[in-house]
Amino acid sequence: MKKLLYSLYKEYKVLVRDKAAMGIMFIMPMALVFVVTIIQDTTFKSVNETSVPLLLVDKDHDSLSVQLERALKQTKFFDVQKQDINQEEARELIATGKYLIGIFIPEKSTTRLREKASQRISKLFPAEDTLPSVVDTASLQLKLYFDPITKQSFKVSISGAIGRIVSALEMQSMVDVLKVEMKDLMPSSEEVTLETKPLVSTSEEYATNNESTLVPNSVQHNVPAWTMFAMFFICIPLSGNIIREREDGSAFRLLTMPGSYVFVLAGKITLYLIVSLIQFALMLSVGLYILPLMGLPTLQTGENYFTLFSIALSAGLAATAFGLLVGTIASSQDQAALFGAVFVVLLAALGGVWIPTFVMPEIMKSISSISPLNWGLEAFYGVFLRGVSFSAIWIHLFKLLVFAAACFGGAYYYQVYKRMR
Amino acid sequence: MQGAPLVEIQNVLKSYKNAPRPAVNDLSLVIPKQSIFGLLGPNGAGKTTLISMLCGLFSPTNGKIITNGWDTAVDSKKIKQIIGVVPQEIALYPKLTAYENLLFLGHMYGIETDELKQRIKYNLEVLGLFEHKDQLIKTFSGGMKRRINLIAGLLHHPQLLILDEPTVGVDIQSKTAIINYLKKLNSEKGMTIFYTSHHLDEAEDFCSHIAIIDEGKLITEGSTKELIQNNGCNTIEEVYLKITGRKFRD
Repeated sequence: MKKLLYSLYKEYKVLVRDKAAMGIMFIMPMALVFVVTIIQDTTFKSVNETSVPLLLVDKDHDSLSVQLERALKQTKFFDVQKQDINQEEARELIATGKYLIGIFIPEKSTTRLREKASQRISKLFPAEDTLPSVVDTASLQLKLYFDPITKQSFKVSISGAIGRIVSALEMQSMVDVLKVEMKDLMPSSEEVTLETKPLVSTSEEYATNNESTLVPNSVQHNVPAWTMFAMFFICIPLSGNIIREREDGSAFRLLTMPGSYVFVLAGKITLYLIVSLIQFALMLSVGLYILPLMGLPTLQTGENYFTLFSIALSAGLAATAFGLLVGTIASSQDQAALFGAVFVVLLAALGGVWIPTFVMPEIMKSISSISPLNWGLEAFYGVFLRGVSFSAIWIHLFKLLVFAAACFGGAYYYQVYKRMR
Repeated sequence: MQGAPLVEIQNVLKSYKNAPRPAVNDLSLVIPKQSIFGLLGPNGAGKTTLISMLCGLFSPTNGKIITNGWDTAVDSKKIKQIIGVVPQEIALYPKLTAYENLLFLGHMYGIETDELKQRIKYNLEVLGLFEHKDQLIKTFSGGMKRRINLIAGLLHHPQLLILDEPTVGVDIQSKTAIINYLKKLNSEKGMTIFYTSHHLDEAEDFCSHIAIIDEGKLITEGSTKELIQNNGCNTIEEVYLKITGRKFRD
């Protein structure tokens, strides 16, 4: 035990005096989570349909445009900005990305809407002594503009939302005309009122196992994602540390001491496991306290702290074991740094660290399940977004621990049967 | 008891996979207790492989190495208790101080803290480094690093000290300090020293016994005086060149 403690103390001293390693392990992931969360915030906002900047050009100035504006504002999906410009200027503003969507309401749209409603209703009640009126078959057109970067799925959902508002306004216009016709036909009857509210409604909620309704956002995704990345990136300093010891003869000296190299390795594993837990705590603190200061949502951690700790511990162990394997197999520090970095970046990309797996194509979703970073991320998602308990995520932790055991086993095999023979 | 064998190397052969020839080829040697035994040979002669086997890191492909009565292939843990190793490289942590390095390595040998502190202080004073104990190793000169490297192998008072080119790249002052201290340990504490070097004049002055190996095979061995006399030479360097030739070993 004393040997383990001294080994741990030595590793601690070596690490804290290695500014580059400290930067890689603590500064880099925090910087990444800041930058990427801010960059992805708009994308996640559009995914979550909140406060989309919308340009409204109203050339109508009548009830259609007034009601459309009111309805758009009521949805709270849109940040409605009105401007008195022409159609080409509106198009230009959307093209330059100032707004995600633009709606152009032509002049006399309300009048034309009323006329069209009247024509349709009149067809239902034709006067016997009059000739059929000439019906204007061209529909009234509101022009929608979308920023070219807008995803098709988002465009369809926005068009649908605006279409529903317009349909309701159409319906209202037809009801208004109908009221007038009914009054002509039955002058003695009381005023007809027709309810225009939808007959079928839908209710939506996120299927979480707790009472909170957490919405996936850039913070909920990026904090656990970059925590996993940071944990696995310790393979660079850890493998470097192992190779340095081998190159400068320290490992040789330690191997000539009775049983000491086991304690040295145990010291390294313990220290880097502690480092990964500190990384986890730091990244969580960034999500809880720092990102909200920048106008981003606060990280919602749920209340399953034991489960969270279990995930961090399993992920830390997997990352440390991976670093040990890279350090044992690589023949130089350059090789370890290159291989470790490329491999972790690849595992991160596959595992959904950069781009969440739910927006990946089906084939990539299947492939992503081979990445240990994905197992950890899925476990974090379970706690952060779905509010599940340990029993629902144990399989991810089991996979991480099997991965750790395989890496430890591989490192032992390589050291004993390849390097020492 | 000088003369009794501490290490017996018996017909040792060590082959590596895909190597064109064995690194050590049917080598037999006896290292007497309390001797200073020099192993000389050109680059690639098999010195480092032999040291690794002496330390119990590799097992011979054939043959046996018996140290203090224990077979290295069977009792490597017992052997590791009685040997001290000073590698050719500066096997120290550059970002730790001299004291932190020695404290760590001493604890890895299982030495009690109080005793360890005394031994560190004594060795640092003898080799003129006590006032530098709190400096980081990376700030040390080559000679200072070599002296700390030596102390690290001595802290647990080994019976057999294995030195792989302990004075390479150091100034004459450091070299003299190291050699004199090793001579003192040999004469006063009875420490057996197994030493390799390319400094043949140093080996001639320092060693009581010398073996010369080449391409994994033993070429000659004996006391330093015997080797010089028997080969009709004036120095060990002449003996060495006479036996191993002048061909480059690249």
